[in-house]
Amino acid sequence: MTLLAVFRLELRRLLVQPLAWVLLALGLAWLGWCFTRLLGDFLAGEIQRAALPLLGQLAQIAFLVVPLLAMSTLAGERRNGTLPLLFAAGVPASRIVLGKYLALLPWLLAWLLLTLAMPLALAHTTTPDWGKLAAATLGIALMLAALAALAVAASAFTSHPAIAAVVALLLGLALWTVNLGAQMAGIDGGAINWLAMSTHGQNLLRGLVSTADILWFVLLVAVCLALATRRLAADKERG
Amino acid sequence: MTAALSAAPPVLQLDRVTRRRAGRVAVQDLNLELAPGQVLGLLGVNGAGKSTTLSMIAGALRPDAGAIRLNGEDFLERPELARRLVGWLPERAPVWPELSVMEHLDAHGRLRGLHGAALREARGAIIERLELQPLARRLAGILSQGQRQRLGLACALLHRPALLVLDEPANALDPVQVGALRELIREQAAAGTAVILSTHVLVEVTAVCDRVAILHEGRLHHDGPVRADDHAALERRFFGIAMQGATPAACAA
Repeated sequence: MTLLAVFRLELRRLLVQPLAWVLLALGLAWLGWCFTRLLGDFLAGEIQRAALPLLGQLAQIAFLVVPLLAMSTLAGERRNGTLPLLFAAGVPASRIVLGKYLALLPWLLAWLLLTLAMPLALAHTTTPDWGKLAAATLGIALMLAALAALAVAASAFTSHPAIAAVVALLLGLALWTVNLGAQMAGIDGGAINWLAMSTHGQNLLRGLVSTADILWFVLLVAVCLALATRRLAADKERG
Repeated sequence: MTAALSAAPPVLQLDRVTRRRAGRVAVQDLNLELAPGQVLGLLGVNGAGKSTTLSMIAGALRPDAGAIRLNGEDFLERPELARRLVGWLPERAPVWPELSVMEHLDAHGRLRGLHGAALREARGAIIERLELQPLARRLAGILSQGQRQRLGLACALLHRPALLVLDEPANALDPVQVGALRELIREQAAAGTAVILSTHVLVEVTAVCDRVAILHEGRLHHDGPVRADDHAALERRFFGIAMQGATPAACAA
């Protein structure tokens, strides 16, 4: 029940902040503009030629939007001095982190669905490749979830939300581009390519669903949340 | 405090509680007991260890050594006891600035295990008792410090705790509100709630407390009864400890 209490508290905090709505509006406005430009491709007859690049655009702006959305989750609590209130209520660090992380997901899901609604509104006039579209949607959903976990972890290590946002943005970009050098050198395999988010995200965006790619995202989420939990538990110990 | 209440088993027991903070001993070998209905004033200069002690009692901070028992049970092993039994108003009453007064009470209630009708009933009662109706829909971020203290107090009392821990509750309150706070503390004590009141204002202690504990450099230097007409004696004792760095043995004498 304490997990639910933290989830509801964080969701409420998120929904009453103008920042979340501004991000949603600006994000959708940008994606709407992209979609309008992509309509030319759609008119050529293939919905995925409009939908998949649109999801790619969403993935790009997610690197900026998700850290801004999540920057206050834990850094804000620390800055307000409200973290001890949660500790005093007997909520373990793991549930605080998980509750706050889960509260971000409905917002991200709404963002993804509203973006998808644009190309899907035109689906009746063509025959989309539903499998490819579903794979790309899964890929973006996993990517949003991973970026949110990364941002929560960054937020756990500072009292300043702006620093948390910058760190999460840089870590996200670093994780996406870590294999850039290897790619330029023509190296396709290896640990460096496995480490890169782009390796796993692009497979899904192309419509290739593999358990290994899904597990990579799940692993990233788990590691980030574990790091945030560890840091929060250390905070309680230190006082 | 009635004789019946004082004879009751203690709500709170601290047994040789020790805690280090920022590389120094903040609280050392602290022993303390509090019976239902008792009001304990906790005095000490800045850095004496009062807030650290209160944070440990509230469950926000773990002691390095020693035991804290609530109603006879070790709450370090059962953190949910603090959630149920302790109400805590931390210093400066921290709030979520983007939430309203009502939303604060809901969030605190849920965190303390209240739901549905029980939460609504408790929320209504505390809003009425602390006269928070005009502020109910106001955002906490725009409340004055005095209003924030009242909100913090409401959150601490919402789940009807057996032990109320108040850290500088009179901060930023006007004289009328201080009077109302004293009345509230007496009312809680009469209902059997044990109260710990940490303050720098000695007159607060003589006004509402029936016991006083004085901490200095993390150690308990005095623990004894206090009377409303005993202000001068309390002042002498407090300054004797705070200014002269007296040893515990000398003060106990």
